[in-house]
Formats: sequence, structure tokens, C-alpha cells
Amino acid sequence: MGFHQGLVGEAYDRQYSNSALLRRIWTYARPYSTKLWLMLITIILQGVIGALPPVLVARVVDTGQVNTTANRLLIILVLAVLVIEVLGYVFYYVLHRLLARVTADISRNLATDAFSASIQQDMAFHDRYSSGKIVSRITTDNLDFVLLIQLTVDVLGSVIQSLTVGVILLRTEWRLALALFAFVPVTMLIVSVYRNLARRVTREGMRAMANVNANIKETISGISVAKNFRQEDSIYQDFKTTNETSYRVNYRRGFVLSIVFPTIRTIGGISIALMTYYGALTVTQGLISAGAWYMILLSSDRFLMPVMSITSYWTQVQTGFSAAERIFALIDAKRTVVQTGNYVPTRLEGKIDFNHLQFHYATGGEVLRDFDLHIRPGENVAIVGHTGAGKSSIARLITRFYEFQGGELTIDDRDIRSYDLTALRTHMGIVTQVPFLFEGTVEENIRFSVPGISREEILDLSRRIGKGEWLETFSHGLDTNVGERGSQISMGQRQLVALMRVLAHKPSIFILDEATASIDPFTEKQIQQALNLILEQSTSVLIAHRLSTVTSADRIIVLAGGEIIEEGTHAQLLASGGNYAELYNTYFRHQSLDYVEKAGRLYSSRHALNPE
Amino acid sequence: MAISEFSTPFRYKTDKSSPIRWLWSHTIHLWPMFVVAMLGAIGNAALASVPPLEFGTAYDTLISGTPLMHVVLRAAVIIFISQSARGVFQFFRNFGFEVTAQQIERNVREEFYINLLGKSMTFHSLQSIGDLMARATNDIREVNYIFSPGINMVFGSINFLFIPITVGAAIHPSLILTPVIFLVLYFLSIARYLKILEPVTRNVRLYFGALNSRLAEDIDGIETVKSAAQEDSEIALFKANIQAYRDTSVQQGDIEARFLPMLLLALAMGFGLMHALLLVRQGAIGMGSVLTYFSSLSLLGFPTNTSIRSYSQISLGLAGARRLLSVMNMENNLDKNDEGHAGKLRGEVEFSHVSFAYTSETATLKDINLVVYPGQTVAVVGQTGSGKTTLARLINRTYDPDQGSVRIDGVDLRDWSLDSLRSQISIIEQDIFLFSKTIAENIAFGKPGATQEEILVAARKAQAENFINALPEGFETVIGERGVTLSGGQRQRLALARAFLTDPRILILDDSTSAIDSQTEDEIQKAIMLAAEGRTTFIITHRLSQIRWADLIVVMKEGLISSIGTHEELMDTSESYRNIFTEVQ
Repeated sequence: MGFHQGLVGEAYDRQYSNSALLRRIWTYARPYSTKLWLMLITIILQGVIGALPPVLVARVVDTGQVNTTANRLLIILVLAVLVIEVLGYVFYYVLHRLLARVTADISRNLATDAFSASIQQDMAFHDRYSSGKIVSRITTDNLDFVLLIQLTVDVLGSVIQSLTVGVILLRTEWRLALALFAFVPVTMLIVSVYRNLARRVTREGMRAMANVNANIKETISGISVAKNFRQEDSIYQDFKTTNETSYRVNYRRGFVLSIVFPTIRTIGGISIALMTYYGALTVTQGLISAGAWYMILLSSDRFLMPVMSITSYWTQVQTGFSAAERIFALIDAKRTVVQTGNYVPTRLEGKIDFNHLQFHYATGGEVLRDFDLHIRPGENVAIVGHTGAGKSSIARLITRFYEFQGGELTIDDRDIRSYDLTALRTHMGIVTQVPFLFEGTVEENIRFSVPGISREEILDLSRRIGKGEWLETFSHGLDTNVGERGSQISMGQRQLVALMRVLAHKPSIFILDEATASIDPFTEKQIQQALNLILEQSTSVLIAHRLSTVTSADRIIVLAGGEIIEEGTHAQLLASGGNYAELYNTYFRHQSLDYVEKAGRLYSSRHALNPE
Repeated sequence: MAISEFSTPFRYKTDKSSPIRWLWSHTIHLWPMFVVAMLGAIGNAALASVPPLEFGTAYDTLISGTPLMHVVLRAAVIIFISQSARGVFQFFRNFGFEVTAQQIERNVREEFYINLLGKSMTFHSLQSIGDLMARATNDIREVNYIFSPGINMVFGSINFLFIPITVGAAIHPSLILTPVIFLVLYFLSIARYLKILEPVTRNVRLYFGALNSRLAEDIDGIETVKSAAQEDSEIALFKANIQAYRDTSVQQGDIEARFLPMLLLALAMGFGLMHALLLVRQGAIGMGSVLTYFSSLSLLGFPTNTSIRSYSQISLGLAGARRLLSVMNMENNLDKNDEGHAGKLRGEVEFSHVSFAYTSETATLKDINLVVYPGQTVAVVGQTGSGKTTLARLINRTYDPDQGSVRIDGVDLRDWSLDSLRSQISIIEQDIFLFSKTIAENIAFGKPGATQEEILVAARKAQAENFINALPEGFETVIGERGVTLSGGQRQRLALARAFLTDPRILILDDSTSAIDSQTEDEIQKAIMLAAEGRTTFIITHRLSQIRWADLIVVMKEGLISSIGTHEELMDTSESYRNIFTEVQ
């Protein structure tokens, strides 16, 4: 069986048998086996000597009572107490140093494997699974698993100490020991009942907190709107209600959580009181010495306390194991894009041919069926069509983000599957619909695909777009930090940087999935210029949303239901009044200057009718 | 009295001069529970000293040759009663601190929220929402943890430090030596421990943050990584990042492993026992007292073990409190000016020699001069960062200009009543914010008592009626996380409907949504044209068609007005303007 706790899984999740899971975990632990053995030895030693001080003190008491003659023994015993206490610290120190290293190393190796697997996964995988959840497997699940290692060490230490104390007690006075053991099931029962209760109230508490957080998230974003309409009070009342509810729920939670330790404490108190009396009885009967009696009293806490940690340990094991399972599932997820060769081209001409190609996504019906498209080296092809016509699929097959099922796709007359994937992509320049920038400077981002390019070359290229004016709009030019995901610069600037990346890179094949975000007309002009520069140097496949991009293509392909229904230049297609003309009317009409002029005239005429 | 835009009094006055004073000024108002908690903590510790004393008594009679079982029984009964009572005290301690923590969390959050509402628009447009969110949730949580488990553990366990001192003193005055030395060294070593640990944990968080944000970027931008064939270099970067994180974690682990109070405890137990036995040999005390003393020394284990976490918990919480205070104490430079000019606004807007800067470094607006007559439509055009939005924000007094003045109907904005001014100006932001409520409630947000009919008319004018009716529950459809999501164009039309309902004299529209199709574009055009009618309207826009029909076009460039005039005038005078109205070939 696997360890699942009703967490929402992903389709690639699988259940590993317990033995497979343990074997897999062991592969990560094995490189540190020496350290692990050392840790085990330390844990055992620590547990055993942790049980000793009461025994020694009992002997001290008994010896000291006989007095005078036993001076040397007394000194030895007292020194032994001191040495054992200090050794306890030394073991603690050694163990925790080892633990810090082993957990940090295992966690690092696991995270690295999970990250490498994720980044090498197909695009199909990434399109399907949310990036947040993948990241959380690499980090949060990893932490959960590491926590399991730490807890195991703690619990192991406790168990060994408990066992040692148990053995010592049994050997000293078995009746009293058995009486003390009777408290174990009672404590366990209380702890587990309490745990269920605690879990329920904690869940409620977390839900209430989540509501408060959601409310705050919404209203903080809404404060400006509220201020605009002077409605501060209404959102404040909303907030106050949620906040108050959360307080009440958490008050209840606090009550439940506050009960357990006092209860255990009281049980411990009862057990000690009983031990005090009945232990004393056995002393008077001469069964044990007074020192042994005292030893039993001191040990009972050391015996009972670990029981609590063992009881709550099982849930942690489940959490830790299912975390490990989720990480392994991520590492083991199957890939679909498989290369048959590893041909490394020195350069590409840019000839692209789809022959009778069949393609569908893992879920869903056929996207391309018996598809033919031939793109000449250096040609610029724009693909237009309604949503779902298959435009993006064509681009994603050329970039080899997806695997096709039948037919043939060749680049420079060579099967796309026979190329080395990394080598193939270094000859392609791809600009995605939402251009993605990494935290860092503008320069670093431009250099992302061509690590070798010099600053001067980048500056030269920059000047070719609008006389380099766009660079002046950045506060620190090329050294401007773009922020996480490029959030510090505008959408238009991000597009320019993404296009600059391609300009610097000079790929043989350029794939553009054009952005739909609106951009100020001045930047828009510069983007057009940059685009035109790229079109001159590469074979281009353009999924176009801008009228200017469509008109600058050599050939327009009109796609519907995965088939090419028309092709030609903008002027030809518009003149023929077919599907393209309809698409134009739906998507591009409002971008034309003609439309703009008409809007101007419309408004002027209204003005004429309604003078101020 | 503090200057504020929104004033609802908080439950009580607090002292915001330092984190500790601030928390204290909250705590004294929650005194009943706090007192319960403190008494619980003291009672719990005091009763913890009972068993060691009773062990001693019982032992003495056991070894006395003629053991008196009723003495032992009395000892057992006292232990039983005291430990049961201790359970009750411990409950009061835990519950008291937990409730205090929850009350503090609730009150602090309320105070923080009221404070945020009172902050100026300036503050809100400068402050990142994510950052405020983090403060209102995580930092306030950390403040909660100061009390439970923080102070609960610290105060609850500090009492235990004094038990061996009092027990020791009762047995023989010299026996206070070990526990007193322990006490002093304990505090010194914890202070040192925290001081060493603090920079390391900060690094751990820092490296984890760096690791995590690059990781999230890589997975989010996976298409870019793959496109650039940079998988290997990103894996190498990840390895470097995680190695740095690993190294600092180990460093932290080493510091925690070296935790000195642990050694001090070991030494105290050893030397304490030795000392007590010496006294026995001198005949100063009996063996029973040795037991009592040794048992009381082992109570030092509690403060030692809890101190690994509890002190850092408090210092984390205080750091959170400091972050909250830094927001709350931020200057609020605008006030409501209730006595200022109020009255119906005509809509004449004049900027004269206006300069403005967010930070002292660079001016965002430089010497802006502009006159707009009532009812005119002004298109503000320019690249991102050219100052368009800032210009608009000066009109409803989100900011005050550093130099020059903005006048509406000839009255300087600083002399207007803020309420009167803002209630007649509507801003539709770039990111249109809608509440997770029904569409009708969202439209009526600015006019809570609006009738169904009024809402319907507003929606119709905003060209929103059709798409609203197409939604599953029409006007009663809930928007947002738990409801339907709307496209940018739809959100914009809802915001316009809001504006139609409040009928402002000046409308400021930050319009940067892009229409995917021409039909939507037609509708948005129509809605905006209707909205502009009969009021002064500023449109910050990217749409050529809007620029084309505006009465006045203001072209902004790097904080200056680079050209201004009608479309025809600009076509004649400005080359860059002419460029955008020409096809690129």
C-alpha cells in the first residue's frame, strides 16, 4: 500500500510498494551510510546513558548511607554522574552535527534530482501540471521528508531510553515496573483521542485563517477602489466580521490544544504518587533499597514521556513517506518526446516540411490530420485562424515541444526525431505569447540564449531599433533590473527584450507566438521594427495577432480545424473575400488606420449634433 | 491627532514608539487573560517543587530504621494533590497565553487594517500589495507566536530556574551556588547563542528565498528555458543555489548542536550532586536533602530544552512587530480637510508649472502646464514610465505636486474638501479590481442604495448588459475566486457601469486592455464615448482610435509634455506622432 492522506494527486502520481519506497529512500541514504551508522551508535549510546543518572544516584544514596568506609566508591560514582551528564552533551553534539549534514545532503540530492527531472520534462507535462504544484514537490515535500528523518532520530533516541529504563526497572522491582507499564496504554489512548480532536479543531482554525487571508488579499487590493468611492467603511465591516469569526474558531482551538499536556501531567502525578507509596512499602518489606525506590521515582518521567512522542510519530511517518512518494513520482514521470538520433547540425537552412502529419494532445481529439505544409528556407509564414484551429500546435511541433503520432516532420529534409534536441533548439529562436524574463538585468536577459555575446554587440543591436531610444526608457539602461518574471518593466519592454534575445541569437528558424497585450503606440512601432529585423535574418513561423505582422509575412496560411483552407498574401486573400476576409473582419479590422479614422469621424459627428 | 483619510477609532490607544511598548500597550488591555496565564505559570512552577521536597521527607523516614508509613502516605497524598492542582495551573497557563495570543492577533490585525484604510492613496499606490498582504498575514501570525508558544514557554520555564535556588536555600544556604551560577551562565549563553544564530538563520532564509524564486521562475518560464536550450545551465545554477543553501543549513545545524545551556545543565547536575554530598560528609545535611536537591536540579531541564526554540520565536515575532510598526508609522501626508471648499464641480482642470517626484532622485513630472475645459475629452499618450498615470493621479489628489499647483474650477486642490473632491471624480484603474460579490453589487459599489433599474441602465450604457445576461445567473452572478472569471474587456465595462451610476464630473480612465476581436473593440469604443459625454474625461490610452477622436491630445515623454494639441495640429507638428499613424513597410 502507499501512504495517501486524501491529498489531491496528479495523474502522474503512482503508488510505490513499501519495500520499493524504502529501497528508493535507501539509494539516497547509502552515500552517507558511514555517517548513518555513526549516528545510530550515538543514538543508542545517548539513549542508554540517558537512563543511567537515576541509577547512579540511587547507588550514591545507598553507598553514602552506609558511610565512612566507602569514600572511594562514592567519589567514583559522583564522578561517573558528572562524566555521564557531560557525555550526554557530547553525544548530543556529535549526533546533531551528523544529522545536520546528512539531512542537508540528502535533501540537496533529492531536490536536485527532482529539479533536473522537471526541467527536462516535456512541455506537454508542464502544460498539464501547475508549476506551483511542481515547485511545491521540489521544496515543501522535500522539507516534509527531511522532517521525517529528524523525527526518526528523536523518536529512536526516546525509544531506546524508554527501553533501557524499562529493563532497569524490571530488574530492580518487577511488580512496581509492571504497575508503571500499565500507564503506557492509558497515556497512548489519551494522546490518540486528543490527536483526533486536535486535528479537527486545527483544520477548522486553518480554514478560518484562510478566510481571513482571502479577505485581506481581496480588500487590500480593493482599498484604492474603496477610497475612490469613499466606501472604506463597507469593506472594513466585511473584514471585521471575518476577523472576529476567525478569533472565535481559534479560541476554541486554543481550548482543546491547552488540555492535553495538563492531562498527561496529572496522570504522571498520579503515577508518581502511587509509586511513592507502594515503592516505600516494598522498601519496608526489604525487597528494594531506599536508593532503588528513589531511582524508580526519578525514572518514571523518563519512561512515560517518550511514549507520547512515539504515539504522534506514526502520522509523521505517513506524511514523510507520502512526501517521498510524490517526489519520486515527479522524478519517474514518463516522457513522451523521444529522440531516435543525436545529430548535431552546424547550421540550419531553415527548410521545414510537414508530410501527412497526424497529431493529437494526450487528452482530446485529433488536432492535425494528414497535414501538409512546406516552408522554404528564409520564408516568413504567418498562420491565422480562430482559437482552436491548431496554430499553436504547428509551432510547438516545430520546436519539438510535443510528439506527433503519424506522418513526418523534417527540418532540412532530415527527420526532426533524429536531431539532438538541445542542438536543434540552439538553432531556433522562440518568442512566447507572454514573454518570460528572469530576475536579473536587461543585459543578462538578452544574453540568456547566447551567453557569449559582448555588451558592445548588444548595444549595437539596440541602436538598430528606433535609434536605441527604447533603451533610454529604462532607468539604468542595459543594467536595469527587470524584477522577478520581468515584473519591474512594462509588457512592451518585455516584448522588446524577448525580441532582442532573438536578434542577438540570430537563429535559423524563428517562431513567434504573438502577444495580445496592448502596448502604447510608440513602443508598438519599435516592436514592429525589431520584428522586421528578425524576419530578414530567419525562416519565420508567425502566429500573428497584429495586423502589421500579418501584412509583413511572405505568405499567410489560414487554418481551420487543423487544415489549411486558404493561403496567399494579405492583399490577394483580402481581395478574394473568403475566409481570410472574415477573419480580418473579426480580429484585425479595429487595428487598421481606416477604423481609426472612422472612429474620429463618428465622434465629430456626435459632437456636431450635441454641442456643449 | 494623527492625520488620516479614514477614521474609525480602534478599541483603545496604543503606543507605537517601539515593538515592545506597542505589544505591551495591547497586552494591558487584555489583562484578565494575561493575569490568568501568569498566575498559571507561577502556580505550575511552584507546585513542581513539591515532589522533590516530599521525596526527601519520605526517604528520611524510610531510612530511619523505624519507617513511619503514615508519613510516606502523607507525602504521597501531597504529591497527588499538588500534581493534580499543577495540571489545572498548567491548563490556565497554556489556555491563558493561547487566548491572549489570539486576542492580540485579532486586535493587531484590526488595528493594522484600520491604519491601512486611513492611509492616503499615495501610500497605497506606492506600496506593493503582496508586501502588505505578507505583513497582514504572516507578520501578524508571528506576533501571535510571541505569546504562544513564545512567552508561554519562556516565562513558564524561567520560573523553574528559581526552584533549585529556593529549595537549595531551604536545605543549606551554600547550595544556591550551583543554581545561581547556572542561572547567570544560562542567560549569558542564550544571549550569545541568539546573537550567533541570528545572522546564520537570516542567511538560510535568504538562500532559500533565492533558490526558491529561481526555481519557480524556471518552472514558470520552462518554455523560455527549453527554447533557449538552457536546461543544463539552469540545472548547474540550481545546484549552485542549493549548495549555498545546504552549506548555511549545516552551519545553522552546527550552532544548534553546540547549544551550551545543555552542557551547563550537565555540569550543574554533576557539581550540584557533588556539593550536596560534601555537605553530607560534613554532617551539615541529611541524605534525604541530597535527593530533594538533586530532584530540584533536574527541573532545570525544562527551561534548557524549551530555550532552543522559544527565544528565537520571540525575536522573530518582534521582527514581525517592527515590520508592522514601520508601515503603521509611515507618514500620511494628506488629510481629509473637511472644512475645505465643497460644492458641485464643473470640471475645469488646470495644471500650472507642476513638478512631482516619487523619490528624491528623479522627477516623474517636470513643469507641466495644461488647461482642460469642462466636458473636454483628453487623450494622454506616451510610453510606459513617461508619467501618464502620475499626471492623472494628481487630478484626484492621490498625490500633491512638489511644485506648482493643480486647480479644479479655479480652486487649488489643497483647498478642496477631500470628500467633496473625490466623490465627484472617478478613476478606472489599469488593473480593474472587482470584489468577490455579485455583478450587481460590484456595479453599485459606489452607490450602495442603487435600485435594480439604475443598475440596469448603467450596465446598458456601459455596453455590458449583453454579456451580463449571458452569464449563468445574470446580474446575480458572483465574480472572482469562487465565481466566474471575466475578460479584461468585460471588467472594464463593469467599471464603466460603476462610473455611470455615480455620475462623476471628472472621469479618469486608465485604458490599457486590448480587445482580442473587433466586435468587443466596437463595444468598448461606444461605452467610452458615452461615458465621456457631458463630463471632463481623461483617457490614458494605447488605442489609436481614441486618440483620434479626443478633443485634446497630450503626448508625454520622460515626464514632460512633448507635444499637445488636436489630432490635426499634432499631425502637422510632431514627427513621432505622425509615425504612429503611418503604416510600417
